[in-house]
Amino acid sequence: MTTTAISDALYDELVGILGPDGVLVDKPARWNRTRTPAPFPVHRWRELVPDVVVLPRTTDQVAEIVRLANRTRTPVVPRAAGTGLTDGATPMRGGILLDVKRMNQIREIDLVDRTVTVQPGINMLKLNEVLQPHGVMFPDDPASYPCSMVGGRIGTSGWSLIGARYGHTRDLVCSMEVVLPTGDVIRVGEGGGRKLRKASTGYTLKPLFIGHEGTLGVVTEATLELVPRPQVEFAAFFGYHDYQTAWTSTGALAKSGFATLAGVVLFDEWKLAYLRRDDEAYIEQPDWLKSVVAVAMYGNEAEVVPAAREIMRIGRESGGTYLGDEVSQGDWAARHDRYAIPLHGRLRSGEVVPMSWHCEDAALNYSVLPQVREEWHAIADRYIREYGIFDDWGMFAYTNGAYKPWGDYLVEIDIGIWEQKLDDTNWEAWLACKREITEVTLKHGGSISACHGASREGDVEFVPTELGGGFEVMKKVKRALDPNNVMNPGKYLLDRAYQGDQEED
Amino acid sequence: MTLDADNDAENTAELSREFAEQWRDPAYGCFSSGHKFCRNVCPVMGVTQNENHSPTAFHANVVAMGQGDLTVEDVAADYVHCTQCGACELRCPNTLMAGDFYRARTRTVDVVKAMRALAVQSGVEQPRWKRWVEATVDRRNEPVLDVPVSQDNVGRWADGLGLPVGGETLLFVDCEAAFYRTALPRAVALVLQAGGVEFGLMREQWCCGGPALEMGYVEQSREFAEHNVADWRAVGARRIITLDPHDYISFTEDYPRYFGDEYEFEIVHITELVAELVREGKLTFTVPVERVATYHDPCRLNKRKGIHQSPREILRAIPGLDFRDVDHVTQWAYCSGAGGGLAIEKPELTAAISAQRLDRAAQLEVDLLVSACVWSERPLAAAGEERNIEVRDLMELVAESAGIEVTT
Amino acid sequence: MFGFRLSAQRPPEPRRIKDDVVMRFDHVYEVSPDKMTVFRQQDLPAWDTERIVGSRWDHLDWMHRHFADKVLGMSDLGLREDGTPAE
Repeated sequence: MTTTAISDALYDELVGILGPDGVLVDKPARWNRTRTPAPFPVHRWRELVPDVVVLPRTTDQVAEIVRLANRTRTPVVPRAAGTGLTDGATPMRGGILLDVKRMNQIREIDLVDRTVTVQPGINMLKLNEVLQPHGVMFPDDPASYPCSMVGGRIGTSGWSLIGARYGHTRDLVCSMEVVLPTGDVIRVGEGGGRKLRKASTGYTLKPLFIGHEGTLGVVTEATLELVPRPQVEFAAFFGYHDYQTAWTSTGALAKSGFATLAGVVLFDEWKLAYLRRDDEAYIEQPDWLKSVVAVAMYGNEAEVVPAAREIMRIGRESGGTYLGDEVSQGDWAARHDRYAIPLHGRLRSGEVVPMSWHCEDAALNYSVLPQVREEWHAIADRYIREYGIFDDWGMFAYTNGAYKPWGDYLVEIDIGIWEQKLDDTNWEAWLACKREITEVTLKHGGSISACHGASREGDVEFVPTELGGGFEVMKKVKRALDPNNVMNPGKYLLDRAYQGDQEED
Repeated sequence: MTLDADNDAENTAELSREFAEQWRDPAYGCFSSGHKFCRNVCPVMGVTQNENHSPTAFHANVVAMGQGDLTVEDVAADYVHCTQCGACELRCPNTLMAGDFYRARTRTVDVVKAMRALAVQSGVEQPRWKRWVEATVDRRNEPVLDVPVSQDNVGRWADGLGLPVGGETLLFVDCEAAFYRTALPRAVALVLQAGGVEFGLMREQWCCGGPALEMGYVEQSREFAEHNVADWRAVGARRIITLDPHDYISFTEDYPRYFGDEYEFEIVHITELVAELVREGKLTFTVPVERVATYHDPCRLNKRKGIHQSPREILRAIPGLDFRDVDHVTQWAYCSGAGGGLAIEKPELTAAISAQRLDRAAQLEVDLLVSACVWSERPLAAAGEERNIEVRDLMELVAESAGIEVTT
Repeated sequence: MFGFRLSAQRPPEPRRIKDDVVMRFDHVYEVSPDKMTVFRQQDLPAWDTERIVGSRWDHLDWMHRHFADKVLGMSDLGLREDGTPAE
């Protein structure tokens, strides 16, 4: 009935650490911990499954598993919610899939020094439900807020929709407990403090362990920032007759200097056309509406009210028409829910087909947004016409800097892919499309990924080029911390860190 | 014997192929998104944290089966882990944001039922479910634990109430209520009488057939349905009152599929009916109920049917009650764990889910948890005992506050 | 009326709003059925449409309350509905 793809000896050792219900070898267990929501080569699913699934509950168990992996040279792939968009949690070489969802405890809420300490398998929405009665919040708010988990947010160095006000994941972690690839357990933070926000003691190690996609260890506990629960929320959506005016307005709003400004989002013309398909807020909007800018603000009422009045003035004076309270509030509240609905997909004939959502996430400067938009849509258009299984769902540009809603943007083109039609040819076509998009990013001085990570095919080929000498340093760090290449091997082209050995053999 | 085995194997393979083909599009509707918003509202995931039991896996398995990667034998045991509460398919953005627009929503409950039916048809049966359904077929009613169940006893809960048999309006009494929690149907009958509602009982009430269908026993479920509807027609019934959400689901979703356009009965759920009686002044609450209470939204009322206002309207009308509500959206993630056959095959999981539900109630510092689903009340009450929280049905409270004495 | 009748569950005929969008129930947009021949539509009775639409608004309200106790609109800012100043 099931296939055990690991040796009896390894299985017995794992059961010795976790007990039998912490070790799963059945096929459904392995098949269902393979893909992440990014477009997936369904036809090659069986090549990507892990060999065994483990469900630890404690740091010690994780450390023992990693030590065992080193002894037996077995890959370990950490997975929290499995909702990432760069296949960080998809095994490239089988191995042990380390599922941390049973590590879901809140260890401590400290209302005096304003931290909450959690295990990695906890979801932010669930965490904030617990924090709400205490008048505090952990403000890490991605599109995946209702489903992603703290461990994955740290693993990818996530981005938050309200990051211009509160910062992103990496700004919201005071310290972490990490099981290193050798099985040693360390604490990284600001210096050696658990609840400090800023120190200058020794090397700044914390950022290294945020965004490594599971290649430098497993975070088993994190002490996170608590902010006061906002008294008020304000969202305003403005409509424009053309993209250029909307882009200018975005700039004006973003550099307005209000501390309560949480984010500014620019929707391009293709995005409006896409929203008119099935979004009740846009279906009957007048023809002149070609572009939208959304603004969100959070904080105390006393500070938000006057700032919001000014934001409304700036929006109006820069050419925006307010779309109304109902659209603004409804659309903002739906910000986690609109994206990944497969039936957004359309063939050129207008026929509805279920498509998987590719979300590009380049980081690019304000000045190049209009040009990048033109080049990206031209690429998408070519592939849609040639292959017939893709769709262009338009672009968003979101303010990207923590506490700085100006300067750079998370620039997203949303491409739909009809997964039911995937085979090797179509999958290669998708990768080719993705590479062209990435080349445009690099040409304009951007970075492949603002927040998802760049470890999947279509992105990763360009990482050495983008990082230059930084990639050499990356390899050295990987080799130093993970001598046996057990942590998520193959990710980020980091096998190259070990290629010297093979040449010597 | 070899020929039969070969035929069986071929038959299974053919059934699986048909199944995977029929469910391919709905499965991709989930798989191509993969965003798993469902997991946070899934009561089983809340206690097992095992992705095998996630609504996402329930759909992904169908895609994998379509590719020949998995078989029904591989996955059948995982599909036991579902109460069919409907939280996942409602919370799923495909439903919540776009299901009405496309007339296509996520249907995890149907996928689970269909996979369970495929398993049964392929000879992969769960031992306790198999025995449960056999006993139900044998006795015409569910083998509700601990008490003797038979057609002789099905109406015994009504002894002394002088209820007629037949009529335009019938009260259908769920098996758990008819045999186990008999105070509930007695309270309902007396409340209806006090409110001036005329109704009768069936001549021969069989199980509604819902549980059999939920467990994958389609033919048996249909037999029960056909008997019950024939009984309704034989006495000229036009309206059926349900006192349990499971029956409301059976009669508004399963029965229409069996009988098509000929199915012209009006199905009325007790909370909606009683709320109207209160609104119209036909039922008045004169006796204060001095308790601190919270309400448990039954899954099959709230999530599956969108009925969450009438029970609250009733509770707010009861004098003396300190009613500490938890909104019905937060309760999408709540469950007693009793539905979908889980309590029969995996009672320890049901107990764990009920324990989580009572922990939530305990945070509100209540001494009473009011439910409106008799199936939820047994495991909730067991968990409540450990926390000094009493569990009662809404209708029992209604009777009490209306000054109706419910003797047994 | 709150009772369930199968005959009342059939959705009304669609009327066209734009090329690819129709409407059967007031304020509830739907895709034009002729665009759903590859991915087939389901049998969605009227109670189900009502449940989904009601749940969506309830969910959005919940999401607002989850992040803050109060949502500001134009009246809270002393502005007109269209966002322009009252003077």
